[in-house]
Amino acid sequence: MMALERFEDLAEVYGGEIARWPEGEREAARALLAANPERLSPVLAGAAQLDRLLDLAPAQSVDAALLGRLIAAAPQARNAARRWIAGLGAALGLSAAALAGVAVGVLAGRPAPVETPVAVAAEPFVTAVDTSADLQDAIAEPAEL
Amino acid sequence: MASDGNDPDETLLSGVGRGDPTAVRTLLDRRLPRILALARRMLNDAGEAEDVAQETFLRAWKQARSWTPGQARFDTWLHRVALNLCYDRLRRRREVVTSEPPEQVDPGPAPDAGLFRADLSKRVEAALAALPPRQREAIVLCHHQGLGNIEAAQLMEISVEALESLLGRGRRALKASLADLQGAGG
Repeated sequence: MMALERFEDLAEVYGGEIARWPEGEREAARALLAANPERLSPVLAGAAQLDRLLDLAPAQSVDAALLGRLIAAAPQARNAARRWIAGLGAALGLSAAALAGVAVGVLAGRPAPVETPVAVAAEPFVTAVDTSADLQDAIAEPAEL
Repeated sequence: MASDGNDPDETLLSGVGRGDPTAVRTLLDRRLPRILALARRMLNDAGEAEDVAQETFLRAWKQARSWTPGQARFDTWLHRVALNLCYDRLRRRREVVTSEPPEQVDPGPAPDAGLFRADLSKRVEAALAALPPRQREAIVLCHHQGLGNIEAAQLMEISVEALESLLGRGRRALKASLADLQGAGG
């Protein structure tokens, strides 16, 4: 059986809602309250008054700019940008290789190896288009807020 | 501070680590308002609260890939990081030497003169800010953040008895400083 003084202490420490008191003491507190409503109800009511005042302490609404910065800084945004840059780099590198192949062919006085370089260059071009969509997603997302 | 294995954020955090934008957004929707409110009530300054919340989540993004499930609840970890950042700022404030006297809390008009809700809110915020930081921390964690006594005590690295002592002293001080408002809280 909980002592009346413990009930009063708990109200002073944890406030006027027994549901917010330590889990192991709630049942005994409710039983004690049921047995002594005249003495203990005012104790809870007094503590609840302070609870209601505390609830008025302002929180802070989340600013859209803060949310945007955090989304942009999250691993997802950085990865998308990195994938796009890597894709672009690969596309440029292979295109340069293809052009070099053409140049070598022309200088050597024989037909340029058209088939192979064009086919190789086409592949990274597709990659660059796909990954640029990723980057657009990454950039667009904060603006959607 | 081990978690009980039921961390509701674990799956989301793993998604964040994989770069899943939906996980990022859901985690922010769920946890950013709580951390922002914690910082605001600890620091009583909107700009500083925003800085603390931002730094807390930037650290969380760095942790996301290497987060080890079962070691601590993510929410508890976020609270710890945010509180440390708050205490850094509170310490810096104390170190600033100023010749001006500290700002006095404006007692404001009496409730029977008709206080608006915003005025009440300012009074409560000022009274909370006037508490010693550890008492304020205990009240914010238990009352506003809704943490249980064991979790709050672990977070503050004190015993439950010490937590109860801080809560009791803090609430008694608030009750005294807000005595004229008793009954005005709605």
